[in-house]
Amino acid sequence: MPLSRYRFRWGLSGFFEFPTENARRILPRGLEPLELHHGSSVFSLTAFDFVDSEVGPYSEVVFGVIVPPLLGEEGRLAKSAFYPWQLATTTRAAREHAMNRWHLPHWPENVGIEFTRDARSLVVRVKAEGSPTAELTITEHSWQPASHLYQCFMQDDSGAYLTHITMEGEYSEHEEESGRMRLYDHPFNKDILLSEVYETPFREVWYRDGVQSFEPLVSRSAA
Amino acid sequence: MKEAAEESSPRRAAFTEYDYSNFYYAAGEDPINLLRPFNEWYREAKQHGYYLYSEPLAGAPTTRVRVRNNKTGEWRDLINLASYNYLGISYRPEVKAAAAAALERYGLGASGSPILSGTFDVHEELAEAVARFKDKEAAILFPTGYSANVGLIPALMRAGDTIFLDQYSHASIVDGAIMAKSRTVFFRHNNPLDLERKISGVKGKKLVVVEGVYSMDGDICALPDIVEVAKRHGARILIDEAHSTFLFGPNGRGVAEHFGLDKEIDFHLGTFSKSLGGQGGFVCGSRDLVDYLNAFGRSRFFSCNLSPVLAAGLLAGLRIAEGEPQLRAKLWSNVAYLRRRFAEEGVDIGNSSSQVMPVMVNNDARVFAVAEKVQDRGLFLNPVTYPAVPKHKSRLRISVSAAHSEEELEAAVQVIAGVLGDEGCLCR
Repeated sequence: MPLSRYRFRWGLSGFFEFPTENARRILPRGLEPLELHHGSSVFSLTAFDFVDSEVGPYSEVVFGVIVPPLLGEEGRLAKSAFYPWQLATTTRAAREHAMNRWHLPHWPENVGIEFTRDARSLVVRVKAEGSPTAELTITEHSWQPASHLYQCFMQDDSGAYLTHITMEGEYSEHEEESGRMRLYDHPFNKDILLSEVYETPFREVWYRDGVQSFEPLVSRSAA
Repeated sequence: MKEAAEESSPRRAAFTEYDYSNFYYAAGEDPINLLRPFNEWYREAKQHGYYLYSEPLAGAPTTRVRVRNNKTGEWRDLINLASYNYLGISYRPEVKAAAAAALERYGLGASGSPILSGTFDVHEELAEAVARFKDKEAAILFPTGYSANVGLIPALMRAGDTIFLDQYSHASIVDGAIMAKSRTVFFRHNNPLDLERKISGVKGKKLVVVEGVYSMDGDICALPDIVEVAKRHGARILIDEAHSTFLFGPNGRGVAEHFGLDKEIDFHLGTFSKSLGGQGGFVCGSRDLVDYLNAFGRSRFFSCNLSPVLAAGLLAGLRIAEGEPQLRAKLWSNVAYLRRRFAEEGVDIGNSSSQVMPVMVNNDARVFAVAEKVQDRGLFLNPVTYPAVPKHKSRLRISVSAAHSEEELEAAVQVIAGVLGDEGCLCR
């Protein structure tokens, strides 16, 4: 099975509670948010620092809603599933590649994505049109090698799709509530009711020095 | 403590990556499609540690129990630190005699809804005794503690109202809020400041729900500050004292009494399954509240009433709890002993300040191995892991009882400290 591989230095995610009504407004028909509590769904902010790919090195930020994984017939269980509804990259080539191959909706211009490592944390600062849009701090726990399978649901005018993504690398995950997120009042964040999203992640995930592998897309009607 | 960088068994690490949320949707249109993937995961999870759940007991849940190991089929005699029975009442001779007499008199069950043919004289006696004990006008019984919450909350709250829940609320409280169809807002655990942030500016009917003692961490509700915030914003307050009734306060009425806030709370809920070791739930308050719940508490209205056998046993148990305050003193003495000894041995019990003590393992992959060894060395204890508690916060949960002897508690300390030491999970 041909895979599309993206080698990264950092891949980190913060998972934040936000209202299920907000999640439902974002999700297309046929997808349901996974609720952490009744009425409270999960917004994920993910950032990658890719060092090697078909379109060269670039950085990327992904806004997603966590959804329950689909149980397939082949017996593979996904660790988690998500619906990315807004992505942004630092290069045009990466953006066009992701839109064409993976049907992923993107912010139309290049954005600035800066990673700052300190003793126990990694801070990502995102700027669009010269203004700050998002800032994410993820803290580390313990590191171990990992290989995790995820499901990614996509949808655009051409149809609805699903791909399996494998994340491999050194991995840290915890629920110590020590990270932080700040979303700025900016068109980039227009789909999120900023006053209702938590600023402290209930879960923090951090991959380092790894590979993200996409399997070929399948149509959701066939999944 | 941090988890080890490598795991000895990749299969063990694999099954811990999943939880019930992974089995929520299935391909195709047949609901049966949900079963096979879950069962494939569960078979693996069971052999690696989930077999430690639902192990059958072959006798009363006293401080020593005979338990069948679900992996080997072997029956073992273990020191029991898993059952609630905080006052050791359920197997007292007076309780058994009262239940046996009720069985002779009434037969097995109530054979009807409490609003139709299922209310017996013993139910009324029990409800009146509960109301007297809690110093309230009236009380109403429910078949279980779960049904008390899913009966009370939707009876009070409607679509368009707002319910504020602690993030660690018991499932019955959450389900009650779902059934109420109200807007549900979770505030951070035991955090009045976050409640303040969430409740500010919210209009309309508001209910704040807390628990006296939280069942996974054993910490006590920060009731004074939460009451202050709730009252300032015009919210009513419901306290679920499942794990604190008969234990806390000068008269054992619960955490609300402990803080001198009994009269400030609008709705008091409790259970008979914890301190009395029986079954059932209750709500107490004004006569108006009880009459209203008799009509609108659907989980009670549409269930068969508590068995009169159980009601008679609970009545006898309640009299013991009221008449023997030394049981509470003994319980708190046991709790103090265990706290001191765990501290001396470097065993982390988190933020517990009650008879519910989490022995923190803080290692999701290793908690089952720890639980297995603890059982092999003579203790009956259940592991608690993600998603019941946050990731890396896995633990064994201890329920201390007044019935435990110091020798039993010391034996437990030795086993737990020994196993945690072997596994590198002591905090010193």
